[in-house]
Amino acid sequence: MSEPVDLASIEEFLCNLAIDEVGPLIKAKSGTQHNYDLKTGNRAVDIVTAIDKQVEKIIWDRVKSKYPDFQFVGEESYVPGVTKISDAPTFIIDPIDGTTNFVHDFPFSCTSMGLTVNKEPVVGVIYNPHLDLLVSASKGNGVRVNGKPFDYKHKIDEKGPLVLKTSVVALQPGSAREGPNFTTKMKTYEELLSCDGGFVHGFRNLGSSAMTLAYLCLGYLDSYWDGGCYAWDVCAGWCILYETGGRIVGANKNEWNVTVDNRTYLAIRGCSEKKDQEKYINDFWSCVRGELKYD
Amino acid sequence: MVLSQEELKNIETALVELAENEVGPVLKEKAGTLFESFDDKANQVDLVTVVDKKIENIIKEKLSSLYPSFKFVGEETYKPNDTGIGEEPTFIIDPIDGTTNFIHGYPYSCTSLGLVEGGVPVVGVVYNPHLNLMYHASKGNGGFLNGKPIKVTERSLKLQQSIIALEAGSERSSGSSGDDNFDIKQATYNNLLSDKGGYIHGSRSCGSAAMNMCFVASGKLDAYWEGGCWAWDVCAGWCIVKECGGTVVGGNPNEWDIPVDERCYLAVRGGCSEPDQKAFIEEFWSHVAGKLKYHW
Repeated sequence: MSEPVDLASIEEFLCNLAIDEVGPLIKAKSGTQHNYDLKTGNRAVDIVTAIDKQVEKIIWDRVKSKYPDFQFVGEESYVPGVTKISDAPTFIIDPIDGTTNFVHDFPFSCTSMGLTVNKEPVVGVIYNPHLDLLVSASKGNGVRVNGKPFDYKHKIDEKGPLVLKTSVVALQPGSAREGPNFTTKMKTYEELLSCDGGFVHGFRNLGSSAMTLAYLCLGYLDSYWDGGCYAWDVCAGWCILYETGGRIVGANKNEWNVTVDNRTYLAIRGCSEKKDQEKYINDFWSCVRGELKYD
Repeated sequence: MVLSQEELKNIETALVELAENEVGPVLKEKAGTLFESFDDKANQVDLVTVVDKKIENIIKEKLSSLYPSFKFVGEETYKPNDTGIGEEPTFIIDPIDGTTNFIHGYPYSCTSLGLVEGGVPVVGVVYNPHLNLMYHASKGNGGFLNGKPIKVTERSLKLQQSIIALEAGSERSSGSSGDDNFDIKQATYNNLLSDKGGYIHGSRSCGSAAMNMCFVASGKLDAYWEGGCWAWDVCAGWCIVKECGGTVVGGNPNEWDIPVDERCYLAVRGGCSEPDQKAFIEEFWSHVAGKLKYHW
């Protein structure tokens, strides 16, 4: 695509869509969907509701009419093996991130809307209507919380040095509860927590990748390690995190450069010393027991 | 003496005012700003700050002037082996629950103010000033969030379809140290999550026992299982859970009736029948991988 893309106006468009249309629907329907489908047919814990599909259609319709030339990848319309992320401007959308939270009315479901250009996340909007928390960014334009500029530098200074042992890490078992990936996750959690291993200050589990990334951007958490998520779970948060000086690498050792559809991620908050980030990543990787692998 | 329902409501109101006007502002102002100044407690993961102590003093002074005949047990003034909880009215207080959250600025620290009488939690107030969540209840008077009655949506309760709060806590040494609570917890999490075990919808951790109890009380989480926390971590939440139709039993199997200082708990939401609750608890216990042991 040759003409420049006005990222700030796309961010504003997605923020309005999130607040005016998507958020109210998620809030109104949270905890009301006692009938749901199993996404993969056999995993009893991987659930999707009619509202996920309805919200994706709303976003699709609005985005398509405003940006007809852009590509669109959404969780509910994704076709394995067919849907690909190209270099073209592509909206990557999770209509409701944290579907299990949504079904149970645990107040950490949100909408997560991102845009990639040349496969790089350049716009990100995450909105949690239960907490009325809107976190947004676009490349080069910094971060906004509920529309107001967010002073991430001040927040980072307040937090002090980034060190594995004094960090709070987000960990989510996710919906795959069998096989080697589940084993790797459980063993790695134990290694991170154990006094003989990483001995981190604590772990937190919100049950939503997008909310976790939003909390990381706000400086509430130090890192987030996960496997099994998809591009739409991380795309929006990725853009916002990079605007705060944070970084995303692979969940497995030595995966320094990964793309948005890598399926495994280690996200780290910003800090004033770049070398602290690198040391943190290496220290974290040394606690990973096994290797996370996804198709 | 036995406090009347009206007296309990008055105490609840006094605790709400204390939490909102005196404790909340200090908690909110200081959260995330004292990273360098924590001192070590049992080990360096269990963080205590000067603010913790300051807040406990504020609470203790206020309560001893309002209720001079009541006993007081607080996290910061507690001394191992000397604090028994008797029959008389006793405030059980955690000035800052979720100290790690408080230090890291993670918005789930709160103050937890409870009262027991006859060993039973009869008043509970939990206030998170970061998200402005005030949970409050007293025995016979119902549970409230920010002054509005909490109504848990009626629905069935099944272990496989539940989301459950599970925390790592600060005790992290495995078998070698002579107690294997950490290993038992990890194995239990594994059992609950595995497709060959409970295969629950999910686990959640917000790093605050009192907040987890309140999420269970309001039906946002189905249950919370914990070992290693103290009476002040759960006392207020316990009363709120009960007033919202939930129940609290022991974290180890077959402990249907436990004191507030059991240190090992399973809290289960309301909004369902008693047989549903009972079946849920029994199925949950079947996944507990050993006996958790704690002492005062």
